[in-house]
Amino acid sequence: MVPMETTKVEGQPRKRITDIGPPNFEKFLHPLIKKNYGQWKYHESLGPGRLCHVAESGDRIYTVRAGSPRLLSIHTIRYFADLADKYCGGYLRFTSRNNVEFLLDDPARIEPLKKELEQAGFPVGGTNNAISNIVHTQGWVHCHSAATDASGIVKSVMDELHYHFTHQELPGKIRIALACCLNMCGAVHCSDIAILGIHRQPPVVRHDLVPKVCEVPTLIASCPTGAIRPATVDGKPSVEVIEQQCMFCGNCFTVCPALPMANAEFDGVSIWVGGKVSNARSAPRFSKLAIPYLPNNPPRWPEVVKAVVNIVEVYAKNARKFERMGEWIDRIGWPKFFKLTGIEFTRYHIDDFRFAPLTFARSTHIRF
Amino acid sequence: MATFEVDGRSYEVDEDGFLQDPGIWNEAVAKDFATTESVAEMTEAHWKVVNYIRNYYLQFGIAPMVRKLCKETGFKLNQIYELFPSGPAKGACKLARLPKPTGCV
Amino acid sequence: MDEKKQTKLLDQLESGPWPSFVKEIKKAAATNPAAGDLLGQLELSYEEKKVHWKHGGIVGVLGYGGGVIGRYSDVPEKFPKVAHFHTLRVNMPTGWFYASDALRTIYDIWERHGSGLTNMHGSTGDIILLGTTTDQLEPAFQELTQAGFDLGGSGSALRTPSACVGQARCEWACYDTMGVCNHVTHHYQDELHRPAWPYKFKFSGCPNDCVASIARADLSVIGMWKDEIQQDDAAVAEYAAAGLDIQKDVCDRCPAKCMNWDGKKLSIDNPECVHCMHCLNVMPKALRPGKERGAIFLLGAKAPILQGAVLSSVLIPFVPAAEIVDTLKELVSRIWEFWDEYGHNRERVAELIQRVGMAAFLDAIGLDPVPEMVAAPRDNPYIFFQKESDGSNGDDKG
Ligand code: SF4
Ligand code: SF4
Ligand code: SF4
Ligand code: SF4
Repeated sequence: MVPMETTKVEGQPRKRITDIGPPNFEKFLHPLIKKNYGQWKYHESLGPGRLCHVAESGDRIYTVRAGSPRLLSIHTIRYFADLADKYCGGYLRFTSRNNVEFLLDDPARIEPLKKELEQAGFPVGGTNNAISNIVHTQGWVHCHSAATDASGIVKSVMDELHYHFTHQELPGKIRIALACCLNMCGAVHCSDIAILGIHRQPPVVRHDLVPKVCEVPTLIASCPTGAIRPATVDGKPSVEVIEQQCMFCGNCFTVCPALPMANAEFDGVSIWVGGKVSNARSAPRFSKLAIPYLPNNPPRWPEVVKAVVNIVEVYAKNARKFERMGEWIDRIGWPKFFKLTGIEFTRYHIDDFRFAPLTFARSTHIRF
Repeated sequence: MATFEVDGRSYEVDEDGFLQDPGIWNEAVAKDFATTESVAEMTEAHWKVVNYIRNYYLQFGIAPMVRKLCKETGFKLNQIYELFPSGPAKGACKLARLPKPTGCV
Repeated sequence: MDEKKQTKLLDQLESGPWPSFVKEIKKAAATNPAAGDLLGQLELSYEEKKVHWKHGGIVGVLGYGGGVIGRYSDVPEKFPKVAHFHTLRVNMPTGWFYASDALRTIYDIWERHGSGLTNMHGSTGDIILLGTTTDQLEPAFQELTQAGFDLGGSGSALRTPSACVGQARCEWACYDTMGVCNHVTHHYQDELHRPAWPYKFKFSGCPNDCVASIARADLSVIGMWKDEIQQDDAAVAEYAAAGLDIQKDVCDRCPAKCMNWDGKKLSIDNPECVHCMHCLNVMPKALRPGKERGAIFLLGAKAPILQGAVLSSVLIPFVPAAEIVDTLKELVSRIWEFWDEYGHNRERVAELIQRVGMAAFLDAIGLDPVPEMVAAPRDNPYIFFQKESDGSNGDDKG
């Protein structure tokens, strides 16, 4: 266990401390990691969710990775802390995809730790060609602009894809991400499968609020299509939205509370595929539209779950080894992607914003 | 809608304590709101910042960017935080009665 | 709430093999009524298919202009304990490494001052302490800094920089991502806490880019090597003997087509290699990045708002590892100076570049154009030729 100075504060006025930045990570590193920092030689997989990194010195550090729902109670954090004490001297970390990792120096403890995690409901996996945890945003739990919930969809999708978290049998990695509005907190726009909350109705202008809460020039400048114009309503200055010009991005609401977007009937989810961040083989790229709209259907969003599972299954069956979703689609072409997945190609799939012509098929290369 | 009361005067404010009615601003109002933003006394330096922000807003309809505020008032950013501990967006804009700034989430 | 409200919809998310956030909220609710009201309000959102948080909210701690996300319920009469439900963003230790006692320290503080709910971690990489009231912000903050933790960035401030695990546990890290990130984070404390410009920095140790810097960071620093891939022929042979189809799975997948396998010996035409990482990923025991290591600097990634998403693009093809920190500081100061002069409110660096043109931007920050910066030269003939008399004409563009 690593001692940390704790606060003793009773009664005493304390000096206010600011701008100290994060604690230096060094004091949280496992002694083996500290010793071999920058001296790692190679790693190997010991099965789903278990890695072994070998240093030049011959030292080995073992990692056990488990999925978490990201939204955690302090009780679960304390449980993780206790597990870390019990199995690995108190050393743990989290990954950029919200998994928790325990860092062990004793390989004999891997299986007992794995068993204990699984019994407590935290699946071990997410490595190599598994589906790792879904990166996601706040949704209805804590954000004002959410067009859908994040945690509920993630839970429902991962319940179905659980097998692929705990097994690494897919042709390549599948990175899934969810953002609950077009602000896209997180790298959803470069994911193998992106689940994106969308609005489909223009904002409602609250003329009574505009003069009180809005910087009108900022509001007008916020609209990517120039759909917002100054207007006088009932003799008072306000704005109007040219509805035909609105593509429901919600940026006006981001800068002005008087233009709410949320609409229970029309909000929903779109699905995007084929993006990637890694440079391995092909260059990083954006995800492309697969399904323009699926309804919000809480608590389990069956339409969304079905769509994602279908795409995963078709990919798993057809992609070649190492091919990511986008690379597989490159090889077979988009027409075949739509055919194999049974997803309908609609007018919404054809871009009509800036640079749209760059996405058109500009050759006679065609497959029949 | 909440109200903020001070010395028998009461103002309609939102949950962050921003004055709702843009029409009723004057220096006395600014002073009343100063108490909510850890500003003990409105000095000349405070007025310089508040007046600059307010005049900029009246002219352009938006709050000035932070660096413009610094350049025009001659205060460094950390000096502005010393004057208005809750910051230019929350503190100074509130006193100058601008619409609540909407930083991104 | 007087009686325990039923949460019929959310209850359905307690079952199934994936860990349940509903169970987590309920666990917190057992000792904290705000978590209970959060559950209630979320159930209402599930019933009505609609968010129940009001727009924005601007609250904070003294002396900081960021680090706290203000939230107010739009149904406070029904769920009074989440009438205020603000979030503190706490700057995570770089690489998200913890010792168990550090976690206990943070969450003991959070038990006293907040809802008992958290995200490990938020989209920005910060520890998200989810939900508290305005009056608890300052006390929570003070206890956190006493314990050695500080707030991260939000809104129009520099966002909390983040780094991949790098040299702490990855053989591919071409520079010390965590060391650089930690250093940079401390160097820019002012900009993190007192919003001046809304940039994001992210540090990945190799082109696998585990922190998605190329998709998310205004400045993406990605590890790179310049010399030859280190190759262990015996280990290559072992992979082959173990059944790896080196021709099909390695050579044929090499985007540069610069690898040759004759059944016994693997040869790599290194000057042709584009450093994609595929072969290293497949044979970590046999192939490793070269010894001349550093980073490639790319600039400008952002999400779609306003005029479309942008990926970072190459600015400096190679910076030796020892010079990364100084180069970054110098570059940032030059970009910041230009942004100060010409940038618009909320404008990300990619948008600034789009508006003034990359060439003018390069002039402004004093970088020479190099062919590594483009996928191809322009194909349109609309060239803004400069006057030839003196070289200084581009400077006033913007
Ligand atoms: S993606 Fe949109 S709704 Fe979701 S957390 Fe980010 S800003 Fe909020
Ligand atoms: S939703 Fe987007 S397109 Fe529509 S008015 Fe608002 S800013 Fe403009
Ligand atoms: S980005 Fe590269 S160096 Fe960093 S953790 Fe990922 S694979 Fe390792
Ligand atoms: S790193 Fe990529 S480009 Fe270079 S040799 Fe390996 S597979 Fe080919």
